Amino acid sequence: MLSADFVIATAVGYVGLLFLIAYVGDRRASTSSGGLLRSPFVYTLAISVYCTSWTFYGAVGSAARNGLEYLAIYLGPTLVFVGWWFVLRKLVRISHNQRLTSVADLLSSRFGKSSRLAVLVTVIAVIGIAPYIALQLKAVTSSIQAVAGASEFGRGSLAGVDEVGLALGVAAAMALFTILFGTRNVDAKEQHHGVVAAIAFEAVVKLAALIAVGCFVIYAGGGFEAIFSRAEAQGVDIYSSETFGNRWIAMNVLSVAAILCLPRQFQITVVENSDENHLRTASWAFPAYLLLMSLFTLPVALFGITTMAPGSNPDMYVLTLPLAAGQEGLALFAFIGGFSSATSMIIVEAIALSIMVSNHIVMPIALRTTRGLGESDGKGVSRLLLMSRRFSIAVILFLGFFYFYMTRDSDALAPIGLISFAGVAQFLPAILAALFWREASVKGATAAVAVGFVVWAWSMFLPSFGTSSTAVAALMAEGPWGISWLRPEALFGLDGLDPLVHSVFWSLFLNTTTLVVVSLLTTQSTLERLQATLFVDVFRRTGRSAPNFIRGSATANDLFFVAQRVLGEKRARALFEGVPLDGEAPGREFIGRLERELAGSIGAASSHVMLSKVVSGEAVSLEEVMQMADETQQAIEYSQELEQTSSELRSTARQLEEANEQLRELDLQKDEFLSQVSHEVRTPMTSIRSFSEILLEEDRLAPEEQRRFVSTIHQESLRLTKLLDEILDLSALERGERGWNNVPTDVEAALTRAIEVCDGLARQRGIRVEIGPRATAATVNGEADRLCQVLINLISNAIKYNDAADPVVQIRSTTGKQYHTIEIADNGPGIAPRDRRRVFDKFWRGNPMGGDGSPAGVGLGLAISRQIVARMDGSLELAPSRRGACFRLKLPLSPAIVEKA
Amino acid sequence: MERRKLESAALFLTIFGAMLIMPPLVLLFNATTRVFGVPTEVIYLFVVWLALIVATRWFSQRLPQEVPADEKPEEQG
Repeated sequence: MLSADFVIATAVGYVGLLFLIAYVGDRRASTSSGGLLRSPFVYTLAISVYCTSWTFYGAVGSAARNGLEYLAIYLGPTLVFVGWWFVLRKLVRISHNQRLTSVADLLSSRFGKSSRLAVLVTVIAVIGIAPYIALQLKAVTSSIQAVAGASEFGRGSLAGVDEVGLALGVAAAMALFTILFGTRNVDAKEQHHGVVAAIAFEAVVKLAALIAVGCFVIYAGGGFEAIFSRAEAQGVDIYSSETFGNRWIAMNVLSVAAILCLPRQFQITVVENSDENHLRTASWAFPAYLLLMSLFTLPVALFGITTMAPGSNPDMYVLTLPLAAGQEGLALFAFIGGFSSATSMIIVEAIALSIMVSNHIVMPIALRTTRGLGESDGKGVSRLLLMSRRFSIAVILFLGFFYFYMTRDSDALAPIGLISFAGVAQFLPAILAALFWREASVKGATAAVAVGFVVWAWSMFLPSFGTSSTAVAALMAEGPWGISWLRPEALFGLDGLDPLVHSVFWSLFLNTTTLVVVSLLTTQSTLERLQATLFVDVFRRTGRSAPNFIRGSATANDLFFVAQRVLGEKRARALFEGVPLDGEAPGREFIGRLERELAGSIGAASSHVMLSKVVSGEAVSLEEVMQMADETQQAIEYSQELEQTSSELRSTARQLEEANEQLRELDLQKDEFLSQVSHEVRTPMTSIRSFSEILLEEDRLAPEEQRRFVSTIHQESLRLTKLLDEILDLSALERGERGWNNVPTDVEAALTRAIEVCDGLARQRGIRVEIGPRATAATVNGEADRLCQVLINLISNAIKYNDAADPVVQIRSTTGKQYHTIEIADNGPGIAPRDRRRVFDKFWRGNPMGGDGSPAGVGLGLAISRQIVARMDGSLELAPSRRGACFRLKLPLSPAIVEKA
Repeated sequence: MERRKLESAALFLTIFGAMLIMPPLVLLFNATTRVFGVPTEVIYLFVVWLALIVATRWFSQRLPQEVPADEKPEEQG
């Protein structure tokens, strides 16, 4: 049979086992690279320190009282780990770069290495965690009493010891245990491999114990369905119809905050993390662990309600159900599981808090009040750190016990834990701002945390004493000095909310508002701005050379002395390897590294103060930092200028390229023109040469043949002359060499003249010329002869190339408001669509032979005509026509005429 | 999937996960019905939970591995 003495002896034996594991863990971590110890699964199991006696005992109690509500405590952390890529990864990366040691160090370091903020956060954490430690003491005490109460041997050596005495004993034992466990040395990175190994082991024990009890309950209760049915039959609300309201949301928010802000979670997840990639595994494995832990909670609670005597404590069902069934071995296992979850929480929490207290409160005070810390043996700082940590662990445990003593009348475990959650949740806005909001300032963060803490202390922490103190009870009913809108659970008259929701809402709302408003109203110091960039842009930085602020005027020997005092002989020697101790002052980079290393032991703010002090208070002035920033800025501007210049050069090069392209095209056109001219000239020249050779060599030619040859030569030379004339004419027109004199000219008179000239040709070809509607008289600016030349060219073309059966040429003219238009159309073959654009090109000929087979013109007529018309500001174009071709000549009317009209 | 899309998907997984366990979506399953003898909302919450775990595992193996070149895990002497 189980007795209290036996159970206590087992617990002591279990603690001995933990010591062994921690010892082996430390040895393995220092001798080899760690192996199993560095596995991501050990890391994940260590994170499971989140599951304390609250989970082991309290969740069942919570489920028995409030149904599914207990799940919110595990769903929040699940979400944080599902989103590990965005918050946790950033935290871990920053922590590695900055050698962070705690949540207080994180906020202090981000907000300009502010000591004040670090102290505030530490104090709040110590006060806020007290209820949580009280919860563990209460759970362990209750579990021992549950075993003792059920034992037939009575209370054994516990006879005469009441609940409070027992709790004090547990607290003292835990304090001793934690001091022996966690403060044997000061690690540079605040990593405790042995502790982590022991915590991981405890995680396995508590999970196994809880699952064993769960399986037992399912077996004893006849399966899930039977347990739920029986509970429903007894009138238990198994459907949790009231669960998903404000309280559900508030608890989810709190648990999200807790997994990030609780000092022990920060210690394990961020500080003890040795490899960023371990988060990858923890991201799914930790939620899976939580799921397994909560799988049997509801059935155990319902089975307890239905089978246990009314009035028995639902928080202890995990232990009392096996006891009631006579399963003593299982009950012992359950007890060890609960003990496990309590010890792991207390160890890690107390270590984390003691680091915060020693780094952020004791060290700064020691640095300010003493001058030569341990000058004799060089180990003063280390010893001071260890002593202050041991002392703070004792204080923290005592505070927990004190809270337990003050609230010993409250019964449920979970509400006590929620008080702590809400307390540390006040860090959440500042932490998120630290990671993502560059503008958040130290004043904003400090004010926000302080405001959140005050509201939390007033609306949640204080009311928890309501059952034990009549003064507090009266305050809650009446408000201070009878001011009813300051009543702790109805602030500003917000009445009727659940007290938890009320407190969480007001504290976080006022906290966040203060953070935002004060940050917007204040300006950051230079150091703050630099730290903000290092934190917010941690993934953007390539190098890790954080700016350092200690001027390199101290000698290496001075610095070595400092390092030796904090880090110890061995680590200091390793750090100073290759640095001549009696030589020049080490460079900035080295001092920056030294500051980070020291920060790993004593926190950023203390390390900063310490180094500044050692180098005779000569912190690098902010002006120098500003200058560095300016230099960077100038470098950026210079490179931007370069970029701009190069883009201008690019655009110039592009323009040149385009111009070159145009020139090449013009050159091509010129070549083409020359080759066409040579070709045109060559044809008549060839025939002239060949005929004249015949005339020269053949003496016996008949006279009429001679005549014929001579006349051909004559014709060809005429054509050649004409061609050359036209080329000259065209080139003169194009270059604008020839004097040009536009005078008012009657365009209709010119048209009449042109028609008369072409009349003969038309008769000869048998072509009808239809004169359509004609304008009476119109005056344009131009040269009458040139205009006539254009019209003759157009009409004769229409006649010459018309091969229709009934050839007709139509001529029309109209006078508009500003333009005079003449159209000359024929019903000939027309112009093929693909040629329409090339009609006015030089040497273009639609049909190599004329309509009657006679050789066509040289192909310059239309090109010349267009040049002439352009000279008179008019246009000559091919009008769209259904059959044949239609040329339209448009000339602007002389201004004088337009005015008159 | 390319890196940016993977990251966005992981972010939306987190946001949708939060929405699934919050009212009003969770109220859809808060009825007096039972599945395999267990109230529907219990089954629902555990299924969402399990799905989140599986999805996170999927993502954790695909999100890019990047150990900063100058920040390798260091040995403590």
